[in-house]
Amino acid sequence: MVANSNRRFDLRKGLSLRVAVILVMVILVTWFSAAFALEQKQIFMPGETSVGHYLFDTSCASCHEGFKPVTNETCNRCHEAELAEDAHGATKFRDPRWATYRDNIDVLTCTACHNEHVHMFGRGVHLQPDLCMVCHEELTVSQLKSHEGFAADGCWTAGCHNFHDHRTISTGFLRQNMGEPAMLPVQQLPDRNVTTTIETAPAPNLKQEFLGGST
Amino acid sequence: MKRLLAVLIMLLMAIGTALPAEAVSESELDQITERWQISVHALNEVNCASCHQESESNAFVANPSYESCQSCHEDPVDTFLLGKHGIRLLEGESPLTPAMARLPMKHDALTKEMNCNTCHDVHSVDTVQAAVDACLTCHNDTHSLTYENSKHAELFLATKELPRPGPTAVTCATCHLPRTGFDQSDGTTLVKVNHNNTYTLKPQDRMVGEVCMNCHGVEYAFNSIFDPELVKANFDRPPALSLETFDMMRAAEKLRSGNPSDEAE
Repeated sequence: MVANSNRRFDLRKGLSLRVAVILVMVILVTWFSAAFALEQKQIFMPGETSVGHYLFDTSCASCHEGFKPVTNETCNRCHEAELAEDAHGATKFRDPRWATYRDNIDVLTCTACHNEHVHMFGRGVHLQPDLCMVCHEELTVSQLKSHEGFAADGCWTAGCHNFHDHRTISTGFLRQNMGEPAMLPVQQLPDRNVTTTIETAPAPNLKQEFLGGST
Repeated sequence: MKRLLAVLIMLLMAIGTALPAEAVSESELDQITERWQISVHALNEVNCASCHQESESNAFVANPSYESCQSCHEDPVDTFLLGKHGIRLLEGESPLTPAMARLPMKHDALTKEMNCNTCHDVHSVDTVQAAVDACLTCHNDTHSLTYENSKHAELFLATKELPRPGPTAVTCATCHLPRTGFDQSDGTTLVKVNHNNTYTLKPQDRMVGEVCMNCHGVEYAFNSIFDPELVKANFDRPPALSLETFDMMRAAEKLRSGNPSDEAE
């Protein structure tokens, strides 16, 4: 009698578990389909997208091809101009003198240093503040007396160094331009020079179309 | 919730644009024609049909898109598509609206759709309006709203020459959509406007080289742009910051110029 009621109880338990599982599945499928249908694909993301990328973060395929890792080509599709002058570029690290540093960190792969959908730092993309130390630790410890005791996470966060394009921040550039007055003697921005080919405007060649009539 | 609201608004707008509300009145058309007649478009024989008619089918186009502009203005459109304003179009999404922004935007501009003619009056081709007023139609953060207190704004107001800001005016576009010179084979320089509005933003030293140093010394520029409070106030006062980088540079220069008693490397 006792055993019998126990079995009935188990059966009921088994049934309700199955119902619960099915219910959860149905909810999940509806949830995911709704996300696709309503263009709310952000729910699939592991974390918040950076300030530059969130505007198109429902377009997963802009950066992702299935579950394959994001490639340099993907980044370069938009960021070619920013990387046109790269102090730490491919030429440097294919040079045998520096190539072994790629064992420390694969600096020729964008995603080795930059991550997306994680907490963001001030450069727009995620970048570990002390990443420079992977190769340059000696600089702050013994190599450069001027940098002795500097914090490991200050190289770029303090605004002094720029890993990729250092044309306007390198010591050479600063040395050349130091001591300039607040206002330069000549203050002039590039001017646009637009030329015209005729003296007076021709007659407009459409009219009825704009008024709602046909051609 | 905000996103849901945006989706709803977009749906409503899609319904709205499907209705035949494209025709303009005769007087509106006259006004447009008047503006066009003195524009560089008209004086370069860019006529109505150049933009409002498909080149192959001759079909009438009421609202030309960025692709129409691109057929002549390749670089400005290409760079626009890489910045935040245009990236959604490049990725095949709906146009950007201020409602999608994380930055504060003006409430009555939330549904505006970003395209070339959102900022540009394409008929007058007057870029004075596109350089400041267009930005302030949507942007509502402290930096944008304090622009008018700056010396930069004074310079712009002092000239305000038409049809485009002169070389002494400092507008929003001066820094965020900078003019860039390209050396031509005939020895001249062609100046184009970089419409990628994020290009000079990060890291900040890029703006120093591209823009600030047209007028300011390097130390003044760096000490200004690396002070977040001063950036927020849109440079309404001279910089109070003194970056250590420059002290270190001076110390290094002293060593270089042969003062070995100071300290050894």
